[in-house]
Amino acid sequence: MKINTTFLKHIAKLSRIKLSKKELEKFTPQMKTILESVDVLQEVDTTGIKPMKKRLPFSQLREDIAKESLTQEKVLTNANHTEMGLVKVYGKIFDGIEKS
Amino acid sequence: MENSKYDVIVGLEIHIQTKTNSKMFCTCPTGYFQKEPNTHVCPVCLGLPGALPVPNKRALELCILMGLATNCDIAPEIHFDRKHYFYPDLPKGYQISQYKKPICSNGHVELSNSTVEIERIHQEEDVAKSTHHIETDTNKEYSLIDYNKSGVPLIEIVTKPCIRSGEQAKEYATRIRQIARYLNISDADMEKGQMRCEPNISVQKKGMWEQKGEEIVPIGKYKLNAKIEIKNIGSITAVEKSINYEVNRLIEALETNKEIIQQTRGWNANKNMTEFQRSKETSDDYRYMAEPDIPIIETSKENIEEISSEIVELPHERINRYMNKHMLSEYDANVLSTDRDVAIFYDNLFIGLDKHLKDTPTSAKLASNCITGTLFAWLNEKDISISKANLDIADLVQWNLALHSKEITKNKAEELLKESLNNNKNLSDLLDNFRKQSEKSAGNLTDIVKDVISQNEKAVKDFKDGNNASVGFLIGQVMQKTQGSADPNEARSILMKELE
Repeated sequence: MKINTTFLKHIAKLSRIKLSKKELEKFTPQMKTILESVDVLQEVDTTGIKPMKKRLPFSQLREDIAKESLTQEKVLTNANHTEMGLVKVYGKIFDGIEKS
Repeated sequence: MENSKYDVIVGLEIHIQTKTNSKMFCTCPTGYFQKEPNTHVCPVCLGLPGALPVPNKRALELCILMGLATNCDIAPEIHFDRKHYFYPDLPKGYQISQYKKPICSNGHVELSNSTVEIERIHQEEDVAKSTHHIETDTNKEYSLIDYNKSGVPLIEIVTKPCIRSGEQAKEYATRIRQIARYLNISDADMEKGQMRCEPNISVQKKGMWEQKGEEIVPIGKYKLNAKIEIKNIGSITAVEKSINYEVNRLIEALETNKEIIQQTRGWNANKNMTEFQRSKETSDDYRYMAEPDIPIIETSKENIEEISSEIVELPHERINRYMNKHMLSEYDANVLSTDRDVAIFYDNLFIGLDKHLKDTPTSAKLASNCITGTLFAWLNEKDISISKANLDIADLVQWNLALHSKEITKNKAEELLKESLNNNKNLSDLLDNFRKQSEKSAGNLTDIVKDVISQNEKAVKDFKDGNNASVGFLIGQVMQKTQGSADPNEARSILMKELE
């Protein structure tokens, strides 16, 4: 993976962030350093080592019981704009990455 | 679609919302249809900082059940991953899904004369519902979001690129919907968004490509044509229509040397055509990573065995049984197997009849005709399902036996059945009445015939002058007088004797 301004522009677009030319020039080397650090970690030989992640038997999963949710009023507390119980967001959202 | 120059290559992704009480990673209720917006929402499905996902056992059981029903291998460990993209319907900024290790893989589904291979079935969560608008006074674009759907369990079923026509894709989608309904995994109603189909289509020159596992690879120096994905398909019929439309469009582009670019297109059901939506992103853009908030879930053989006890006789097995053991036509077998409740009803009626007749094909044909004829017409008209209708198997057995023994004519039998259904009258009472009536008229039939002859001198004269059609008229008169209870053949023979 080549870390250059084109790459960073793409990442910014995916994250819906607009970066100025100046910012791109500033962040590109920073991003490079971060990813190079990760590359160092990648060099460690982890063959045969199981992921250090908690394991859970299937039987201990949450049973499918529905419980009460928040009230609509509470759900909308943090929304800047609302309309008829719905969250309202401004902006053009079709361009860029497709939705699942 | 047959074409001498090109092959059609289709892979199908089907999303199905599974039937659980609570959401995939939180305890909010799932049934959001026609509910007040943003009332089935909590910090988890709203993606608030610090909220942690807790996987729903039943949802995972249903995903595994779908895998077992489609002959998949079930992974001994369940891993979740994060799929990142920014969109207002996804408040966390990522969807919890599965990337490299789906729960189910390498399955297949049998169709009438082909097999569709399934690459994978994985578990994920649904997103919120958003609608897009433009503000009238400011001309600003905005979206309205209801998070009730956010976090509803969703499974994605992905085929290998092994489907070769729109017709086959339609049959496959229909079969998947049937399996989901048979096993009560989902109602899979496409209009309600409980099932969504997204075909991937490409058209390649014959003999210039081959399928290697889940990949299509070129032969020699051939350059593969780009793949098109279709979204926004709202019905099973649209699966076939949209693929056929797209195949024609792609072939035309190739024939006129137009460039085909990889893209996502939307199906427009009003215009019956696909429209450009956006150029397609690659999976790298989703920046998948392992979901650190959910442990690895270990599934044992015992867990899988327990889940497999929910497997019932599946549609293709039923169709085969009806065709091979009951000697029904392929058409009848398919119609009876479409809905599991109908199939169970048929089986019960068949058993009831066969106890008396001890003749499998006859019992099967009677039961099949009874259901697909009058009953279906009536159920359709009233728009109720067979399980909700107040139908008595024992009564219907008696009704069919009376019909089979010619004790009652087809017309009269239908009339009684309709009367019973429409007025909620007991069918066996109606049959009893009919029997009493016909016993009474049987003795009198000769008298009635004599009456009819004496009252219709003109018709009798016409007959004697050689007009055979007037016999029909006279029989009609006899039937009217007996209120339909007489056997027309018997009426005819008595009539002919009296006329001679």
